Amino acid sequence: MSTVIEQIEQQIAQLSNKAVKKNTGHILTVADGVAKLDGLSDVMYNEMVQFPGGAIGIALNLEEDEVGCVILGDVSNLKEGDEVQTTGKLLSVPVGKALLGRVVDALGRPVDGKGPIDSKEFYPVEKIAPGIIVRKSVSQPLFTGIMAIDSMIPIGRGQRELIIGDRGTGKTTICIDTIINQGRINKVGLASGDKNFRPVYSIYVAIGQKQSNIVRTISALEAAGALEFTVIVAAPAADNPANQYIAPYSGASIGEWFMENGMDALIVYDDLSKHAVAYRQISLILKRPSGREAYPGDVFYLHSRLLERAARLDGKGSLTALPIVETLAGDVSAYIPTNIISITDGQIFLETDLFNQGIRPAVSVGLSVSRVGSSAQIKATKQVGGKLKGELAQFRELAAFAQFGSDLDAKTKAQLDRGSRIVELFKQPQLNPIAIELQVSVLWALQKEYFSSVEVKQVVGAAASLRDYLATRKDALLTKIRTKAALDAALDAELKTACDEWKGTFAAK
Amino acid sequence: MRGDKKTKLLAKQLFKLSLVNGEVSAAQVAGVLGYIEKIQPRQTLALLKLYHRAIAAEVAKSRALIEHAGPIGDSALKLVESAMTQKYHRAVTASAQRNDALFAGLRVRVGSDVYESTVAGQLAALAASL
Ligand SMILES: Nc1ncnc2c1ncn2[C@@H]1O[C@H](COP(=O)(O)OP(=O)(O)OP(=O)(O)O)[C@@H](O)[C@H]1O
Ligand SMILES: [Mg+2]
Repeated sequence: MSTVIEQIEQQIAQLSNKAVKKNTGHILTVADGVAKLDGLSDVMYNEMVQFPGGAIGIALNLEEDEVGCVILGDVSNLKEGDEVQTTGKLLSVPVGKALLGRVVDALGRPVDGKGPIDSKEFYPVEKIAPGIIVRKSVSQPLFTGIMAIDSMIPIGRGQRELIIGDRGTGKTTICIDTIINQGRINKVGLASGDKNFRPVYSIYVAIGQKQSNIVRTISALEAAGALEFTVIVAAPAADNPANQYIAPYSGASIGEWFMENGMDALIVYDDLSKHAVAYRQISLILKRPSGREAYPGDVFYLHSRLLERAARLDGKGSLTALPIVETLAGDVSAYIPTNIISITDGQIFLETDLFNQGIRPAVSVGLSVSRVGSSAQIKATKQVGGKLKGELAQFRELAAFAQFGSDLDAKTKAQLDRGSRIVELFKQPQLNPIAIELQVSVLWALQKEYFSSVEVKQVVGAAASLRDYLATRKDALLTKIRTKAALDAALDAELKTACDEWKGTFAAK
Repeated sequence: MRGDKKTKLLAKQLFKLSLVNGEVSAAQVAGVLGYIEKIQPRQTLALLKLYHRAIAAEVAKSRALIEHAGPIGDSALKLVESAMTQKYHRAVTASAQRNDALFAGLRVRVGSDVYESTVAGQLAALAASL
C-alpha cells in the first residue's frame, strides 16, 4: 500500500518541478506612490510587478538589496510586509484602430464609460526608437490648418515640432485645431475614394491637466467631428505621478502601431513640462541624485527617448510629434525648454505680448523655425507665401523703428502698410482650421494686392468673406488647387476671375 | 528606522564576516552578535535589523520551504531537496509545512523564488487572466 502512495508522491514532486516559477518579494515601505521592496532577485528594469489587490508597479530602481518601484493604481490598501511578485512582462498597452474615438488612462484602460475596448494587439510602453537605417527624411506635409504655420513654419509627417510659450498663450488651441484639421482632411479624402490618400490619425496625451480642461478638449473634438479619428490618453493632475510619467510613452506606443502598420499618425504631448515635474517627484521620492532645478540627471533622456520615437519609416508610415512646453515669462533658456528645443526639429514660439495685442494665434514668426518642414511644403504654398516670413520680419523691424521717427518716406510707409495687412490676415479664431486650398487662395489674393485697398481693420473680415465666397461657389477650383498642389497659368487665371468676382460683391456691401 | 550610510556599510561587513565558505555559520553569527552587544555601535537597532534582513535572506536561499495540502512523504522531501540543490548550485535543505488553503499540490519557496503547482495557484492565475 505504502509504495502506491510513494508513487503518487513522486508524481506530485515531479509536478512541482514543472510548476510555474514566480519571483517574489515583500513591501518594505510605501509612500507617495513609490514602494521599496526586498527580495525580487530576478526582477528586470521596467518590469511590471504585481501588488496585492490588483495594483501594478514598475521597477525603476534596482539596488543591491532593494527594489524601488512606482505604483500605478490604488495604493491605499498596501502595507508593509505584503507579498509582491514579478510578472516577467514589460508594461504594455492595447493598440489598434479599436482605440479611435476613445478616452483611455495611462495603461490603456477605457475611462469614458463606453464599454471595453476590443483590441487584440499589445505594444510595450517603452520601446527602442527606430534606428538610422529604417528612417526616411520628411517629405509629406501635415497641414495644421493654421495659416501662419502652414505658410511660414510648415510641418512634415514624421517631424517633431515643439509648441512653446507661456501659460495661456494658446498652445493647446493650436494642437486641437491641428487635430480637427486632420479630421476634416480625413473625411474629404476618404470620401473622394482616392487610393493614394493617407489619413492622419491623432493621439492627444493630456498630462497633469485639470479634468475640466480635458473634458473641454474632448467635447471640442467631438463637436468638430474629429474624435472618431482620435485617441485620447488622459493622466489628469489628480492622477498619481507614476501615471503621469507613463502616459506619454503609452501614447507613443499607440501611435507607433499606426506607423508600423503603414499609416500616418500625429501625437500631441500636452505638456512635457508637467511630465518632467511628475518625473522629478518620483525621482526625489526614489532618492535619486538631483541636479539642475532639482530635476534628476536623466531628465534629458526622459524626453529624448520619447521624442525619438516619432519618425517616418521607410516603406511604412509615420508618427509626427507636437510636444508642448510651458515657459515662465518667455524664458526659453530654462532647463526643460532648452533640452526639448535641442531634441526637436524646430519650434513654434507663442508670445504673451502678441496674444494680448489680439494677434491670435500668437505665433512669433521671428523666433519660430521648422528645420525640415519646408521640404514637405506643397509647391502652391511656396509660390504664394515664400517671401512672407522675410517680409514680416522686416515689418517688425520697421515698426519698432517707426515708433521713434515721425516722418517716414513713402516706401517705408508702404512697407508698413503691407506688413500690418499681413499680420491681420494671419489672425484666425480658434477651432477654425482653414483648408490648405483656401489658404493658398487667400495668400494668392494678398500677393496680387487684392487687400491693398481694404482698410487694415477690415482685412480679417475681407479674408473671411473671400474664403466664404470661394468655399460656397468655387468648389471645382478649390479641388483643383488641392489635387494639383501647384499653381500654373490656368489656375492663376481662374483665381483671378474668382477674386475679381468676389471683389465686386465685397465692395458692393 | 532605516539606518544611514555608515550603518548600512557596517551591517554589510558584519554580514560578510558571518559567512564561511559562502554559507551562514552559526558560530560566526554568535560572534558578531557578541561584538555588537559589547561595542554598542551607533544606531544599534537599525544595524541589527539590517543584519537580520541580510542573514534571513541568505538563509532562505539554502532552505526549501515546502507548503503542502494533504500528506507528504520523506521521499518527496528528498526529491525536492536534490532538485533544488542542483538548480541553485548550493546545498538546499527542505522542510515541510502544512497549508490547507492550497487545496491540493505543492508550493516550494527558495529565497525569493516560488514554485507553485497548487490548485489555489491555478485558480488565482485563472482569475487574473479573466
Ligand atoms: N486663435 C485664438 N483666438 C481667440 N482666442 C484664442 C485663440 N487661441 C487661444 N485662445 C484663447 O486663449 C485661452 C488660452 O488658450 P489655451 O488654453 O490654448 O492656452 P494654453 O497655452 O494651452 O494654456 P495653458 O498654459 O493653460 O495650458 C483660451 O481661453 C482660448 O480660448
Ligand atoms: Mg494648455
